[in-house]
Amino acid sequence: MLRLLRRQRALLNCAPISHDRLADSSMRAAVARADDSDEFRNQQNFDRAVAELVHLIPIPPETAEWFSEKDLAVGSKWTWRKMARNPAVLAISIAVVVIAGVSVFQVLSGLNEFPGSATARKLLTVAASTRPVMLDPVSTEAETLSDLFFMKHGLEHYDVPAEFADFRTIGCRVFEDEESRRIAQIWLAEKRMQLFLFPAERNPKTGAVLRFPGWRYVHQEGWAGAVTERNGVCFMAALRGNEKDLASYISKTTAQ
Amino acid sequence: MLGDSSKAQEVFHTTLREAALRAAQGELPREPFWLFRDARWRCLDATKTDLQPESLDLDEHDLAAHVASQIEELEPTQLAVWISGAPDPQRTALALFYLDEFDYQEILDLGELKLNELSRLLAQGRRQLQAWLDAKRPQQGTV
Repeated sequence: MLRLLRRQRALLNCAPISHDRLADSSMRAAVARADDSDEFRNQQNFDRAVAELVHLIPIPPETAEWFSEKDLAVGSKWTWRKMARNPAVLAISIAVVVIAGVSVFQVLSGLNEFPGSATARKLLTVAASTRPVMLDPVSTEAETLSDLFFMKHGLEHYDVPAEFADFRTIGCRVFEDEESRRIAQIWLAEKRMQLFLFPAERNPKTGAVLRFPGWRYVHQEGWAGAVTERNGVCFMAALRGNEKDLASYISKTTAQ
Repeated sequence: MLGDSSKAQEVFHTTLREAALRAAQGELPREPFWLFRDARWRCLDATKTDLQPESLDLDEHDLAAHVASQIEELEPTQLAVWISGAPDPQRTALALFYLDEFDYQEILDLGELKLNELSRLLAQGRRQLQAWLDAKRPQQGTV
């Protein structure tokens, strides 16, 4: 404490005459603390008066002509290294980097988001925990189940897209999720792939279906899903693996 | 630093001439204040052979509230002579500080001083100058 006070006292004795020469934060703090004291005010008045008189000391004309109107000494320049060492600059830089990192992460995450992506991810978890015995055994082509869903369960437009229409099924079921949406689940013989059909997300105000074009991919716990939306119903093909395994099905069938 | 304009001019021109020569040979130092450092050493060198002031313990007074008016009564050359009569490094500290062109860190660098030293030299200089001003005023009053 005593050392700190002694340093402050030392700084005050060297306090600049012009306030624009308050070079560093410790000097600024010392001056700010002492600004109201009579002793410091006397010192500043003294220094100002002496400095004014010093500027009146005559300079021989032969010497004076060498001086321009510019400052005699240009203050020490800011270098990048000096600036980088400044704790405030360092703290701000770290904060900016963190904010930028979070923003980039959010933007990248946002790129993978689409209406219904949250539901699709939940259904990937369902797919991972589903056992064949939980489904009604049905051996047919996947596209024919659309009629079953419509006639037995009254589910309109629960159609299997052409890309997966010809695959043989092992079983199917219709269940409700925690939001009472009715989900159709189909198990295929092909690579134990599972298909899901579920209502597309809607605008809560207008009730309009939130559409998105083409196929989108989701990932969850080692499972990948390819999702598309048609007629207000989302279709997802899911399998244990990655996007590449699904993409080959989609590109192959689309090319046909 | 010298209290003598002809000597100051000589030092100034010698410093500039030397700087021009070094610039022509591409030997200018990279540090920003080398010219001032050089000029300071030349000033100290120029006064080495002069008559040196007696080493006296000068009186010291607390700074007065009305000190500004006391200083206004001084002639600039009187102040120049007073500062140049101070022993170095106090002379360097006072000259650089009251030139009001450098911040304290630059003065520490130029004068090769530590903060406590600069602080002591400036504080002592102020108190001695105040004592000198206090001593001068009664004399002026009698003239």
